[in-house]
Order: sequence, then C-alpha cells, then structure tokens
Amino acid sequence: MLKKLLKLTGIFFYIGLFTLGGGYAMIPLMKQELVEKHKYFTDDEFYEMFAISQVTPGPIAVNMATFIGFREAGIIGSAFATTGVMLPSLIIIILISLFFQNITKNVFVHRFFVGILTGVVAEISYVIIDVWKKSQIDFFFYAVFVLSLIEIFLLKVNPIYVIIIGGALGIVFKSKEFAKNASSSSH
Amino acid sequence: MHRLHLISVFFEFFKIGAVTFGGGQAMLPILKRELVENLHWVSMNQFLYFVSVSQVTPGPIAVNMATFIGYEVDGIFGAITATTGVAMPSFLVITLIATGLKKLSSSAVYRGFIAGVKPVIVSLLIGAIYLIARGAFHTLAPFIMAGIAFAVFLKYKINAFLFLIAMGAIGLFLIK
Repeated sequence: MLKKLLKLTGIFFYIGLFTLGGGYAMIPLMKQELVEKHKYFTDDEFYEMFAISQVTPGPIAVNMATFIGFREAGIIGSAFATTGVMLPSLIIIILISLFFQNITKNVFVHRFFVGILTGVVAEISYVIIDVWKKSQIDFFFYAVFVLSLIEIFLLKVNPIYVIIIGGALGIVFKSKEFAKNASSSSH
Repeated sequence: MHRLHLISVFFEFFKIGAVTFGGGQAMLPILKRELVENLHWVSMNQFLYFVSVSQVTPGPIAVNMATFIGYEVDGIFGAITATTGVAMPSFLVITLIATGLKKLSSSAVYRGFIAGVKPVIVSLLIGAIYLIARGAFHTLAPFIMAGIAFAVFLKYKINAFLFLIAMGAIGLFLIK
C-alpha cells in the first residue's frame, strides 16, 4: 500500500515538476505518463477526464491527480497524488520567495519580467480565441458576455459574483435546451 | 490570532479555487480584486511580479500564485495553507465524480451553469489582459511587443515556456 502511494506521489511530483507554462502545455506530458507509461488511464478515459476538468473548478493537473489517486487507493491515494503534483510548485516558489524578495528592484530584472508579461498577454489572447472557438456562440453567449463585461469594467462587480450570475443565468435559460437535447438523442 | 489568520488564508483561497473555471489565467482578476484591493495582502507590483514568475516556473499557475501570496502573508505555513485551500474545491469535486457522481457533470442543470460561466471566462481573460497592461506597461514598447508576440504565437505553435523566456530577453533591450 505504502509503495503504491509513494509511486503515485512520485509520478505526480514528476508531472508537477516538468509541466512548465501551465494549462494545455501540461497535456502531452500527462498523457505520456498516465496513459502510455503507467497505464492508469485508457486513451478514452484520459480525454473524458480532460473534458470533465474543463467544466469543474481547479487546475487540470490537480484534477487528474485526485481522480487517479482515488481510483488507485481511495481518498488517501488522492491526497498523496495531489500533494505530489503540488509539491514542486510549493518548493520552488517558497525558495524564490526566500532568496529573491527584492529581485524586481533591479532594473534589468524588471525589464525581463515586463517582457515576460507581454508574452503572457499574447498567450491569454490566444486562450480567448480558443475558448471562443470551442464555445457554442449564440444570442445567450453574447448577452452574458456583454453583461459580464459591463459588470467587470463599468460596475466593478466582484468577479466571483459575475461568475455566479453567469452560471445562474445559464441554469435559467440554457438547462431546458440541454435537457431537451439529451432526451431527444437518447434511445 | 495567528491561527485565525491561517484560517482566513485557507478560506480566501478555497473561495477562489471554487470559482476558477477555465484555467489559472481567468482567476487573475478575482485574485486581484480579493487580495490586492479588498484585503491588501500584496501590492499591485508584487502581484504582477508573481504573475510573471508563476508563468515560467513549473506547476499550475493557480497553485504558484497561491504559494506566492500565501508566503507573503504568513511565511511557509501561509504558503502551504493557501495552496491547500486553492486545490481543495477541485479535490472535493473530483472525489465526488470518482465515487460515481459522474452524472452530476453531465446533468442539464450543470451544463446550463457551465454555458453561463463560459462567456464570463472570456470577460475575465480580457480583464486579466487589462490589469497586466495597466499595471506593467508604462511605455508604448510593451504594447507593441505584446501585439507582435500574439501574431507570432498565433501563427507558430511555440513552446509556451521558451516563448515567455524569449519575450523576457527581448524586454531587456526594448523596455525602458
């Protein structure tokens, strides 16, 4: 049991350590480790888990770790796997905080980090296009989009409430459609 | 008092973890609102520094941001508490799904909820760009760099990490 737990922790530690860039950049490495090498998932299961991660809160790597850990060794397994995947971030960021407190006071370091931020803006723009392409763009989508822009930029509503309002509108106006589609497509 | 503080760190990040759909970048406006403006746990400059470092160090952005801010508030224990808090909602939800409540995520009500959250994510991502540009881009050069970087990133599928390091290196020469 302990061996199994440590193995889970080790695999997810490795995934946490070598997934630079976050988000979608993590997918190929995770697939290689979890499907091809250690066979925790079949191909289909992996993509199903990926799809579930898109609609549940939290980082996809944490979701994968929790799910596989649970299946392998119950709630203790998910605790070990999740700890494994977060440990590299925790250690590295704490070390950076310890040793590089005032690093940005240096003008060259500051320029370097602002340079990185220009790249981050480019990446976020890319993600926006990606989300837009993968969504069903209808009147409802536009309406909630415009409403949320007004809430965030003009009314300065706390973003947490903007998410909850969006979700509530979705339940009111879109659930019926999904229920209808589900019943008409099932046999 | 100290323990009380750690509890509030935990719940603050738990709350943020629970509403973080669509990846760590969409959470940036939420983090800024809660932790920079409402609670003053970190300054805007620190926040922007954490954003840039979080993107070029290993691990999920949400976890990196939580560790950074948690450490700033309460040292190593703060970092561990914040990280645990931000991961806890996904831990709970995925455990529920693993125990067989998979139907939850495919139910009509839940799909309706997600259909309403998606457009908000787009707005939050626009908000993330706005807060970075407003906070860190003080001359024209970074705006131009971001525009060109976007075009390049769109056309060529470059490794995200190397891409960001390259932009940092260019920044050394172009940003004043």
